[in-house]
Amino acid sequence: MKAKKNHWNVIYELARLDFKLKYYGSALGFLWSLLKPFLMLGILYVVFFYFLKVTIPNYEIYLFLGIITWNFFADTTKDIAPGISSKAHLLQSTSLTPATVIAGTILHSLWTFLITLVIFFIFFFALGLHLTGSAIMLLILIPLLVLITTGVSLCIAPLYMRFNDFGHMWDILLQMLFWATPIVYDYKIVPASVAKWYLLNPITRVIVDMRNAVLYGFFPEPKQMLITLTITALIYFIGTVIFKKYGKKFIEEL
Amino acid sequence: MEKNLSKNYKKNYNIVIETRHIIKEYRIPHEKTNTLFGQILGRFKGKTTYENFRALNDVSFSLHKGEMVGLIGKNGSGKTTLLKILGGIIQPSSGSFTIEGTVAPLIGLGVGFHGELSAEENLYLYGAILGMPRKKIKEKLDEIFSFAGVERFRNMKLKHFSSGMVARLAFSTMVQADPDILLLDEIFSVGDKDFIPQCLTKIAEYRQRGKTILFASHDLSAIEQQCERTILLDKGELKMFGPTKDVVQYYKTI
Repeated sequence: MKAKKNHWNVIYELARLDFKLKYYGSALGFLWSLLKPFLMLGILYVVFFYFLKVTIPNYEIYLFLGIITWNFFADTTKDIAPGISSKAHLLQSTSLTPATVIAGTILHSLWTFLITLVIFFIFFFALGLHLTGSAIMLLILIPLLVLITTGVSLCIAPLYMRFNDFGHMWDILLQMLFWATPIVYDYKIVPASVAKWYLLNPITRVIVDMRNAVLYGFFPEPKQMLITLTITALIYFIGTVIFKKYGKKFIEEL
Repeated sequence: MEKNLSKNYKKNYNIVIETRHIIKEYRIPHEKTNTLFGQILGRFKGKTTYENFRALNDVSFSLHKGEMVGLIGKNGSGKTTLLKILGGIIQPSSGSFTIEGTVAPLIGLGVGFHGELSAEENLYLYGAILGMPRKKIKEKLDEIFSFAGVERFRNMKLKHFSSGMVARLAFSTMVQADPDILLLDEIFSVGDKDFIPQCLTKIAEYRQRGKTILFASHDLSAIEQQCERTILLDKGELKMFGPTKDVVQYYKTI
């Protein structure tokens, strides 16, 4: 019990230091991490709303929610590698484990995500929109998002540690996944023939459900929610199995 | 049944560390590829050849509660590897070990502190890894800095510290964390004439409270002064384990 509590202490300290290091010595400090989603939002908004004439109502807020959700997933999985390599010394000389380091990275990303979520809601209300009871779903969807991200991080962390060039591949995969996720467009435009596969992407499912809950006042269908839960559990399970097998093995290779 | 027996045995004789046939083997490929690309290319070129290197070969011993045991051997004899395994940093290839109580390794000089952060910030993380909650570290901070004799540099970035100063900080923090078993690897090699006696006094106090220490060093006189029993490793094998005097004498002949 005591060991478990201490585990959380370490995760908290790691996240705090990462947070500090990331914005240390930059004049804009934390604003940098906010600038990125805003720039992305601005560019995608201009291209899709003005040039391509997307007709989704409240497109700016629709896009905003998609981007911050996606960014949490993408940034976390990208931060896993520098997170581990910057702590190579600690991993090799103390009882700190890679799993704890990954948990620290995820907690750090979650803080950033929650702050951007607050900014999102400031925007949301400033635009005169209203929340309904379905927004309570966020309390389930955000933990699901964290679990999916954790599962994927655990799967790829050993690859990062073993192969120096895995980061490049993951970048490309993320690019592909970005367009295979309904961030800038609506999932309903996906042709029915591929929709079955398309909707297996758990990030897609979370983004769709988040929009329904926050923007449109819908609760997800129980059956669909069950599928989302199953996929999430499966990813998390695979992640822990892979990590259990390979996670410690590569400390010596760092 | 067998488990119960060994538990009773431990209770009776106060064995706190027991290793059973520990083997640590490294596979050193003749052509090391660190990239996924290289790995795939390697598959086409044919089998890569390996060389097996045994860092530890069938090491079994047990340590009693409250004793300080020396660990000697030439460079590359497996001292650090053994401490890393006992500290839970790396896993043995085969064999097993049991440890009763909390264990903390003090291995290497850098101790993995992060250079860009202040000494104080670093201690919060390091302390957490050693099992101290934030509140406790805060209380002990003055003591840690004064024992290490670096109070003046509390807010200095750690990268500006000398290796001796870092070693002092690491040792001071370790003492405050108060683990049941301490694994020390060459801590005195960077300490100056003032710090070493200070450390030895602390270690003596620490032992009076029934703590156990495994102390790896090349400083044979320190080993002779401090340790009743000593382990001699040679090329990964446990050559001798007995009264320090005999072991050191034998070591000088090989």
